[in-house]
Amino acid sequence: MKVLEIKNLKKDFGEKTVLEDISLTVNKGEVISVIGPSGSGKSTLLRCATFLEKATDGSIAYCEKEVVKSEGGRAIYPSKAEMKAARSKFGLVFQSFNLFPHFNVLKNVTDAPISVMKRDREQVMTEAREMLKRVGLEDKENAYPCELSGGQQQRVAIARALVMNPEIIFFDEPTSALDPEITAGILKIMKELAEADMTMVIVTHEIDFARAVSDRVIFMADGHIIEQGSPKDIIDNSDNERTRAFLRKL
Amino acid sequence: MTNSRTKRYFIGSICMLLLLSLFMGMTLTLSSGEVYAENESKKTFTVGFDASFPPYGYRDENGEYVGFDLDLAEEVCTRKGWTLKKQPIDWDSKDMELDSGAIDCIWNGFTINGRENDYTWSEPYVDNSQVVIVKADSKIKSLSDLKGKTVVVQADSSALAAFTGDDATEENKSLAKSFKELQQVSDYNSAFLNLESGMVDAICMDIGVASYQVKQRGEKYIILSEEVSSEQYGVGFKLGNTALRDEVMEVLYAMKADGKFDEIAKKWELETAVCLKAAAPKETTADESQPEKTAPAQSATHMSVGQIALDLLGGMGATLLIFCLTLIFALPLGLILTFIRMTKIKVIQLLAKFYISVMRGTPLMLQLLVVCYGPHYVFGLNTDSSFRFYAVIIGFSLNYAAYFAEIFRAGIQAVPIGQREAASVLGYSRGQTFRKIVFPQMVKNILPPMTNEVITLVKDTSLAFALAYTEVFTLAKQIAAAEANIMPLFVAGVFYYVFNLLVAFIMGRIEKKLNYYH
Ligand SMILES: Nc1ncnc2c1ncn2[C@@H]1O[C@H](COP(=O)(O)OP(=O)(O)O)[C@@H](O)[C@H]1O
Ligand SMILES: [Mg+2]
Repeated sequence: MKVLEIKNLKKDFGEKTVLEDISLTVNKGEVISVIGPSGSGKSTLLRCATFLEKATDGSIAYCEKEVVKSEGGRAIYPSKAEMKAARSKFGLVFQSFNLFPHFNVLKNVTDAPISVMKRDREQVMTEAREMLKRVGLEDKENAYPCELSGGQQQRVAIARALVMNPEIIFFDEPTSALDPEITAGILKIMKELAEADMTMVIVTHEIDFARAVSDRVIFMADGHIIEQGSPKDIIDNSDNERTRAFLRKL
Repeated sequence: MTNSRTKRYFIGSICMLLLLSLFMGMTLTLSSGEVYAENESKKTFTVGFDASFPPYGYRDENGEYVGFDLDLAEEVCTRKGWTLKKQPIDWDSKDMELDSGAIDCIWNGFTINGRENDYTWSEPYVDNSQVVIVKADSKIKSLSDLKGKTVVVQADSSALAAFTGDDATEENKSLAKSFKELQQVSDYNSAFLNLESGMVDAICMDIGVASYQVKQRGEKYIILSEEVSSEQYGVGFKLGNTALRDEVMEVLYAMKADGKFDEIAKKWELETAVCLKAAAPKETTADESQPEKTAPAQSATHMSVGQIALDLLGGMGATLLIFCLTLIFALPLGLILTFIRMTKIKVIQLLAKFYISVMRGTPLMLQLLVVCYGPHYVFGLNTDSSFRFYAVIIGFSLNYAAYFAEIFRAGIQAVPIGQREAASVLGYSRGQTFRKIVFPQMVKNILPPMTNEVITLVKDTSLAFALAYTEVFTLAKQIAAAEANIMPLFVAGVFYYVFNLLVAFIMGRIEKKLNYYH
């Protein structure tokens, strides 16, 4: 099943076109890494996919249901209810974590399933504790975000996304704000998720990690997808000059 | 958990304050006799007076509004079967009060001279001369000795008019020019404070008031025998209201004829000042003898601080009531204004911006006057005197909502955009995002500026005096004037200070409770 299908996506900020003719299909269980120089539009792509930015043109479908339609050269967004239904399909892990500072760890993880999805409180609690255990924070459920290290906060953010039971999780440079020693722990968790057949789209600069976990690697530059393929084809044996130039500089 | 405890604590303290102020406000209403008469079919006769103008109309040590003029009005009402409503007003707003129908007449040592065409006047009933008071040991013995001296008068008083008004005599005008300075103060209490402390050399005022003040204050002051001017007092009705004037005059003549008028004058030691002539003979209603009123305590004994504090209690309640009601209305109103200010629709946003800039850019006192008298002048509505309380609350709420709106906006904008983005991805609706994510963080952000604003509100409540709403400061001024003593003002100051300490303490506690996260 195609979990995500983006077709001919275009995004303008005023006069400036930041994304152009982006088409991307993600199948269930696939792990995709997006690489490319800074300013190439990787974050904007994830933000359009998660409705944080409105696309200028193009269509976006989740689980083979079209949410954003392209009509007459413009992207058309559906009703609030349909958007809400579509939002339940994905999760997003930010570079800057964005935990809610006034909620403790457990509430950060459980509030959305309880108050947005109206799920049974006890069941959510049980699942949340399981997730916290999975990211190694079972003893921190009463702590507030300000009492946690960056790595711990990012683990909570991952648990928060997981408890929502999304079909797909987007990661926007999840380790860029972290120290190298801490990065490894987060990458390990993501690797475990990949092995558990979670569908993921990961924007990252960790090339070794991308090579190890990805089914497919996408190279972006100047708002375009330049090429995509297996890690081997893109990272190790690309014959595209821009890809090679980018990889050489890392 | 901590969060909900904070909320409960906060709501609890608000409720307590509100209850307390309601209770104290009620005490005030009862004690100042402003409760409406049980018999509503009786005609109400509302007399406007400056509550710090003894012996004509002022607040005595029991918190009652008394005075020569009020006794006369009382007697007129008794004889007519009317209900007397004594309405203390801010002297500067007397015309608005009269025009809007909030009061029926101004009866308060009201000088006719120079205002002949502005009101419909009763016959003059007091002949009042302007005299000069100096310290008993002063070298000033006559008017010419005032050359090069500093003289003080009440603002907008007959004494001021006698020196600088259009109808002032050339003699008085040049006398005034010879002064070092002619100062103005808002009430006689301040005038005496100035004289006592040597800041001014002489006070010029109405003779009736002068005799009373000098008597009250003991041997320290004397009145110069040379008078500055002579003038007459009358009752001022709205221009054209001859019907009511004639009704009142008829009774006054009857009172003059049967001796009641002079009896009341004697009670207030104004027998030398009164000048009401007997009317052309006319049949007068036989009046039943009124129970003798006991003469007011004229002793110069000072009230104790405890007594003053007790007297001010009603005013404190009124202040608390203004404070609490303003918060209750201005906080949600401010939040709504913030939403309007932050909409994406430019026109609406601009309107909110304009409103806020007007509210913040003009004096609160002016806004209070507009709210109180605007309905009459703009829409021709007749507002009764109970409206002044609503006007105070409306004026304060509208003004503070503007300030709160700006504080809220800054507090909302200080919440990182990532918070809203995270909430959006998790599926929170806009309402949920605001309620659960943005609002609690905003509250934490705004506590410091909010504390400042609330403390300002405590002090600003004293501006209610502009609408003659008797809160603690106005009451303190009245008692100070009647008692010739500044202690009440000091007690009021202590009240404001303690109130603010309490506000700062509560806000500090809330801030501490919210310190569980950064
Ligand atoms: N809100 C915005 N307004 C205007 N320009 C933006 C905005 N967000 C991103 N951009 C521009 O879009 C381009 C792509 O940015 P981004 O998607 O963040 O790149 P990447 O994540 O690949 O570094 C950049 O040139 C950036 O300046
Ligand atoms: Mg980026």
